[in-house]
Amino acid sequence: MSSNLTALHEKTKSYDWDYTSVTPRPKFETKYKLPKKGKDPFRVLIRDYMKMEAEKDDRTHGFLDGAVRMREQGRAEPRFNEIMKPVLPVLTNAEYQAVAGCGMIISAIDNQELRQGYAAQMLDEVRHAQLEMSLRNYYVKNSPDPAGWDIGQRSMYLHPAAQATIGEFQHFNTGDPLDCIVALNIVVETAYTNILLVANPQVAVANGDNALASVMMSIQSDEARHMANGYGSIMMLLAEEDNVPILNKSLDRHFWHSHRLFDLLVGFASEYGARVRPWSYKNQWEEWVVDDFVGGFIERLSEFGVRPPSRLAAAANDVAWGHHTIAQVLGAIWPLNFWRSDALGPADFAWFENNYPGWSAIYQPFWEGYRTLADPAVGRLMLQELPGLPPICQVCQMPCVLPRLDCNEARIVALDGKNYALCSEGCEWIFANWPEAYRHRKQFWERYHGWDLADVIVDIGGIRPDGRTLIGQPMLDMERLWTIDDIRAIGYEIRNPLAG
Amino acid sequence: MPRITIEPFAHSYECEDAESVLEGALRHNLLLRYGCKHGGCGTCKVRLVDGDVDEHGSSFALTDEDRAEDLILACASVPLEDCVVDVSPTELSEDEFHSGDTSRPYDTVVESVETLTTDIAAVRLRIIGDRMPFVAGQFVNVEIPGSRLVRTFSLANCPADDDRIELIVKLYPDGAFSQFLRSDAVPGTGVRVHGPYGQLKMRLSHRPVLMIAGGSGLAPLLSMLRDCATQGFDRPVTVFFGARTEADLYLVEEITSIGERLRGFAFHPVLSQSWGPDWPGGTGLVTDAIARWSPTLAHDVYLCGPPPMIDAAVPMLTAAGVRPRNIYFDAFTPAAQTVPA
Repeated sequence: MSSNLTALHEKTKSYDWDYTSVTPRPKFETKYKLPKKGKDPFRVLIRDYMKMEAEKDDRTHGFLDGAVRMREQGRAEPRFNEIMKPVLPVLTNAEYQAVAGCGMIISAIDNQELRQGYAAQMLDEVRHAQLEMSLRNYYVKNSPDPAGWDIGQRSMYLHPAAQATIGEFQHFNTGDPLDCIVALNIVVETAYTNILLVANPQVAVANGDNALASVMMSIQSDEARHMANGYGSIMMLLAEEDNVPILNKSLDRHFWHSHRLFDLLVGFASEYGARVRPWSYKNQWEEWVVDDFVGGFIERLSEFGVRPPSRLAAAANDVAWGHHTIAQVLGAIWPLNFWRSDALGPADFAWFENNYPGWSAIYQPFWEGYRTLADPAVGRLMLQELPGLPPICQVCQMPCVLPRLDCNEARIVALDGKNYALCSEGCEWIFANWPEAYRHRKQFWERYHGWDLADVIVDIGGIRPDGRTLIGQPMLDMERLWTIDDIRAIGYEIRNPLAG
Repeated sequence: MPRITIEPFAHSYECEDAESVLEGALRHNLLLRYGCKHGGCGTCKVRLVDGDVDEHGSSFALTDEDRAEDLILACASVPLEDCVVDVSPTELSEDEFHSGDTSRPYDTVVESVETLTTDIAAVRLRIIGDRMPFVAGQFVNVEIPGSRLVRTFSLANCPADDDRIELIVKLYPDGAFSQFLRSDAVPGTGVRVHGPYGQLKMRLSHRPVLMIAGGSGLAPLLSMLRDCATQGFDRPVTVFFGARTEADLYLVEEITSIGERLRGFAFHPVLSQSWGPDWPGGTGLVTDAIARWSPTLAHDVYLCGPPPMIDAAVPMLTAAGVRPRNIYFDAFTPAAQTVPA
């Protein structure tokens, strides 16, 4: 940047004034005290930024164009491609909610330095959403089995697990705008995007999917700026001592909620959606979330009174088991999935036992039984083996079977005469502190209470274009695929576990 | 003159001929982390991303793994051409980088020299003037009065007591600092100290803590323990303290007393050379004692002791399940330093 442009850049940030004739009414109220001055975390002129991002876009789209001609997608591991069907729409929703969040934050912060940073972040999030849509377009046209790719965004609002992702990403743009920064920039961007967008591309490449790796790495190259926005914002807040306790409370809330979503679903996708696993999720979590985020980022802020998340040890305990349990649940409800699931085999069993000692005794019998029931000729579903459907946590929207079925921490809490299921002490604490944010969320089992499973599948669009075959299947390699008639013949009725 | 670009801050400066990467940064009022300034402590390990440097002086501060990852010592590397250096391994923030060097000399006077064993003494200094804020685990360089020699010692006192300095010193028959302590270090004697330096510190995590000390290496771990007790540390702490004989153990009562203020504390003194029939503690090498104590580990581990102890402990710990990143230590530095310029 030349000196003239630098001076101009600084000048643009001083286009600000104080109201003298009216008292401004903030569009979004905040409980935090906001100092007027901050620090520009962005430090790039918008035209330089545009040039840089355009070049990155060109590279990514160029790769996708070449990948089509080289028939790249045919080399990707089908198991991995299937698991991306739910992952990518979830990611796109996160980007979209972040766009809205940035707008809200810009409106709420009377601080030109940070507004500059969040304006650029908003553009980044739009770019990411566009890249992910391009990638999905590529998958729809080039995947061996495109069923599910075409309805991903719609299914994300209908599938039971997807409710969890919606609940998490709503934190980006609801409630106190400064808490949105804690949720978006501090916890999700700083603690979790490295696992999502740096570690996961390694899994993608190991499983033959270079397209996904290319897009994710292009996205991740912007995330450092978003972390800088979060750091700049939090340093601004820490200039006011009164902000420290409410900041710590917000960090506790969003760390636990993000742990529930990311550690369960990213852990599931990266291990159960892969045949080649370059690392264990638990190890990646220790690296990025504990040692980098807590041991690095939070540690630097500790002299200002910021505490590590108070449920870090509880999260660490759950990370060893939670995503394996979620894999069981998603395996058991496979007819509702808009992707094909897969049964684990001996090589998977060995890897899991090696990386999670004790896994075989707890989970292997389930997967052996799962394989036995995969043939439609058997005419029985894993759901029928369960005593009932698990209640869904009112806060994180995950099934209340965590960390494991045999030692789950589920609890029922009454509020104003109504019972709510909660999966853990952490979610119970969140519910007690912010009941209005969660009490009105609808539950999947509640919506379909008394329905036949076949009717639910039809209602959420889980049928292929032939009108009979299910999109969701229990295995990738099957002689005959399950149809809606097979499900109807079983006659499984959805029963809301919280119904009286 | 070669130009050094510091990443991830995208900031560059020029080095004069024969000037090290570190010296050039400090001359431009920029901070790179450093300690001994002579290639001994490893505090200034940075990654050479591009360019070439002349690495002078002997150094055991860089392991083979460090060299394989292109790490160099900023204090002992003179650029031969334009270089790009990544300081991420030192966990330096951009604010710290631009703030320049905040370590400085402190004038102190001897308060006491207490003999702890036949060859280990506790040296207590009182700082004159400003207090010296530091983090438990850091070290200082001490000028030996009447010479231009400097010795490096970890701070043993609690960071809350930042108006004084406590050192644990191994006494050598012909050591220059040992001679000073034996002959001249009467209370009130002036001693100049530079610091604080070093990155050894307690890390935030959820893991239990394992501390392993050998010989005079208890100092930084004692500082950490004292700090833990003051701060109300809430993770389990286990301390292994290796010595040759029971007479070589020191400050055992204080460690036990600190442990009573900590949750889930355990203390294991281990003797390697000889022990009486009633010795209740561990025996043999401290690494073997740890392996017997628990064959699998998932701890944050802090070590301080002679290089052979650290060399033996690191592979044993990783084999038992400790993540390499969660093993923290400062190696002892050789005594070949002179007064900082």
